[in-house]
Amino acid sequence: MRGVIDLIGRDRPDMVFLIALLVLFLIGMAAVYSASTVISESGLFGKQVTWSIFGLIAFLLGTIISLRRLEEISPIAYAFICLLLIVTLFIGSGPANRWLIIGPIHLQPSEISKAGLILVTAWWLASQKVRPRKFGEILIFLTVIPVVVLTAIQPDLGTAVSMLLIVLAMFVWAGYGGGWIMLLVSPILAAVSSMNILLWLGFMMILITILYRRKYPLPMWIVFMGGNSIVAALTPMAWNMLKPYQQSRLITFLNPSNDPHGSGWNIIQSEVAVGSGGLSGQGFLQGAQKELAFLPARHTDFVFSVWAEETGFIGCLILLTAFFILFWRMVIAARKSVNPFNSLVAAGAAAYIGIHVFVNVGMTLGIMPVTGLPLPLISYGGSQLVTVLFLLGLVLNAGMYWREV
Amino acid sequence: MFRKEKQWPSLAFMITTLVLFMILGGRLFYLQIVKGDYYRGLSSQNHIRVVTKPAPRGLISDRNGVVLADSRPSFIVTAIPSEFDSTNTEQVASLLGITEETLSGILSQASSVPHRPVVLSTSMSVEDVSSIAECIYCIPGILIDVAPQRRYHRPDDFCHIIGYVGLSDDPESFRGEITGRTGIEFSLNETLRGSPGLHREVVDAMGRVVEEYKGTDSDEPVPGKNVVITIDAELQRTALEHLVKTTLPGAVVIIDYVTGDILCAASSPSFDSNMFSRGITRDEWDALLQNPANPLYCRAWTASYPPASTFKIITAYWLIAEGLINENTMPAPCYGSLTLGDTEFGCWTAHGRLNIIQSLARSCDVFFYRTSQLGSLNELAEYAEFFGLGSRLTEILTDERSGLVPDSDYFNSAYGPDGWGLGNLLNISIGQGELLTTPLQMAAMTGVIASRGQMPLPCLILQREEMEPFFPAEVCDDTAFDVVTEGMLQTVISRRGTLYGVFSDFPWDFWGKTGTAECSGEDHAIVVGFSREPEPVVICVIIEHGGHGGSVAGPVARDILLSYFERSD
Repeated sequence: MRGVIDLIGRDRPDMVFLIALLVLFLIGMAAVYSASTVISESGLFGKQVTWSIFGLIAFLLGTIISLRRLEEISPIAYAFICLLLIVTLFIGSGPANRWLIIGPIHLQPSEISKAGLILVTAWWLASQKVRPRKFGEILIFLTVIPVVVLTAIQPDLGTAVSMLLIVLAMFVWAGYGGGWIMLLVSPILAAVSSMNILLWLGFMMILITILYRRKYPLPMWIVFMGGNSIVAALTPMAWNMLKPYQQSRLITFLNPSNDPHGSGWNIIQSEVAVGSGGLSGQGFLQGAQKELAFLPARHTDFVFSVWAEETGFIGCLILLTAFFILFWRMVIAARKSVNPFNSLVAAGAAAYIGIHVFVNVGMTLGIMPVTGLPLPLISYGGSQLVTVLFLLGLVLNAGMYWREV
Repeated sequence: MFRKEKQWPSLAFMITTLVLFMILGGRLFYLQIVKGDYYRGLSSQNHIRVVTKPAPRGLISDRNGVVLADSRPSFIVTAIPSEFDSTNTEQVASLLGITEETLSGILSQASSVPHRPVVLSTSMSVEDVSSIAECIYCIPGILIDVAPQRRYHRPDDFCHIIGYVGLSDDPESFRGEITGRTGIEFSLNETLRGSPGLHREVVDAMGRVVEEYKGTDSDEPVPGKNVVITIDAELQRTALEHLVKTTLPGAVVIIDYVTGDILCAASSPSFDSNMFSRGITRDEWDALLQNPANPLYCRAWTASYPPASTFKIITAYWLIAEGLINENTMPAPCYGSLTLGDTEFGCWTAHGRLNIIQSLARSCDVFFYRTSQLGSLNELAEYAEFFGLGSRLTEILTDERSGLVPDSDYFNSAYGPDGWGLGNLLNISIGQGELLTTPLQMAAMTGVIASRGQMPLPCLILQREEMEPFFPAEVCDDTAFDVVTEGMLQTVISRRGTLYGVFSDFPWDFWGKTGTAECSGEDHAIVVGFSREPEPVVICVIIEHGGHGGSVAGPVARDILLSYFERSD
């Protein structure tokens, strides 16, 4: 029992959290090692080890940094990341121009920007909590839009959508209800639902229900009903004005990692790899499918397939359980934290983990579309590893200093 | 923030994630436990092959439903590099009749994507395939596939309009896919091609199909859409036959001036477009390229010629419409030439004193030399553009040329501000000098007169909707139309008209204008004209190096229209 005076004292680090993290980290190293044995590019595993050292430094930095100081510099850090993304847009290189190469270091700014996004959203939401501004929420969205748009035009629609989902999850954490979120994203839903009249009617009924229950005045009704009707009317017109080849080019542009032939070759091979793992897998380094040069991204986006083939259902359950425990401990840390900023950062990081795991693993199992989202802690890639470990360090930090106001 | 406040959000977080993770776990259970044996069997002995099934390419037919291009079944032999064993190279090469070096060259080029089939041999008939199928079927990694081959029913008549196809080299298309290279096949490729289907097959180590893959549904190919063109195939054939009879290169364009439909666009010499469907050989291709008459070239719209005296239609229209002269104006007589400074501008004979209608009928140059000095070059150029000259008339014909209508800006940049003068205007006024037009443009220009400005832009794809006229309504002038029409009638019926006698046996009225374009060697013979009955058509005939327009191109135009009208009567 600590005394009352020890209000801002420090708790022990969350051991369950650390063990889950260690398990995932080791799985990641093993999976990258296994995948790298059949990759012609040499030294992949060595590079990943090097990046892990940087990741460890980032993790330690996250645990000891003053969260108050971090909150103060959040907007500046965010502005810096925006700049980095703009620079990448012009001098980016590598596949899809997503890379920024500075000497020996290859950075993927869209990965780093996810951390910036979480920090700036936490900062805005926390200050909105303390000193509510009129239309403050709109301002928050205006702040995050540049990063989302810059990512979408890289082009990396999958990452851009995942960023929006993280921000929305943080709004939910800050106490905004489902109806409120619904109104916020209603233009996107209007555009999507305009493809089918029944979908559109359903959407309008939900909209009316929300507006009625929230007892909005007439002008708000006009804005939401009218605005969304206009969006829904214009979307098919704009789409039909495009020629068929322009439509398919637009789809390819929005989702370049999608197989241009639509053959789903990658997905089929991934399904076969996962399925052939069976209950206990074919044994570490024994995977047969990974030998075939079928996946260009078997050490990055499709690393889960390698793990599933070699360790089977049991290995997959260990991985998913470890992720779930990690997520659970992150939510606990977020819930414990008294300070709104700390709490929101932990919640945002938890949403980051949850969304990435579901989208990436879902993709390798053929139930989610093909996007370029990596599997946190497991996929090969330095930017991602360092970003995730830094965020996890912050969560551990927030959990230890939960009393801080 | 109070902890109570966060109870609902954290519950929402945990439940959502739990549900999502359970979906993942459920899917894993299905793939690994329920279907684990199936997939393990697949991955150890068999593997999945994705085979593209080509979509049938759309038909192309003429305005009366005559099929001009369709597809016939044919076979291609492909190899999957990752499955092919190089010890079989010799056997496969001898079966297909290619050298071993060629075969291994093809295979090594494709090694970057080893699971995608590469084409070894195309357009094999049933007989070809049956003789080798038995041997080839036992060789792993070699496949025989059905691939529709493009077939042209009137390859010589339509080689320029429809164009031809070839194997696509777009990296996004599958191996063996054909794509339009020229003509309508090229410009409407997206409409015609449809989208290929995909079959996923489970194959064993020998490359034999064991079964259809059960994981994902196959996509059936979507056939391409059919295209109906405005050409009348019989008329097209008649026109080409008459062109071939002259033994000279040339072109015929016939347009319905009410609808703008291009009824005929013949260009001679032509070539057999089926050569490209079955795969053109090196020798055939060299022969086409080295032929001095250049059969690949569509003379109806890719070639541009000086319009010569046919351009006087525009000059005359401009002179009247702008009020520079009237139909009774008679300038100084034609003595056979006009001297400007120290340059002599010739006429082909001494015409004496003429009005504008007589000048059109007898094609007097001096009349236009004298009268065009009343206006300016840029005005005349502007009128030429109203009549459709100097710009492309269609979007669909990607090889259509725009021709050239020189104005003062053109001459300033070509010769400098002091390097040109009135003489250039005089040359342009009779359709010589830098002026260049395609036969399609000459026909459209005549169509403006025939329709009194109401003709829409020429079109090649049959559509039923009415189109707007391209001639600006504000320059429509009834007197000018009357004068030019009368001049074109007198060309045919007056005793000294340049087409007198040519149409004497022609049972219908014809309005015409001849042109004799000066060039190196014998002049190009041109005639343009129109009939109102029994069909509203305009015609342009050009015979390269044919000589005099009236006596060479005129009879060709008459004979083509005669057989067309007799058939439609």
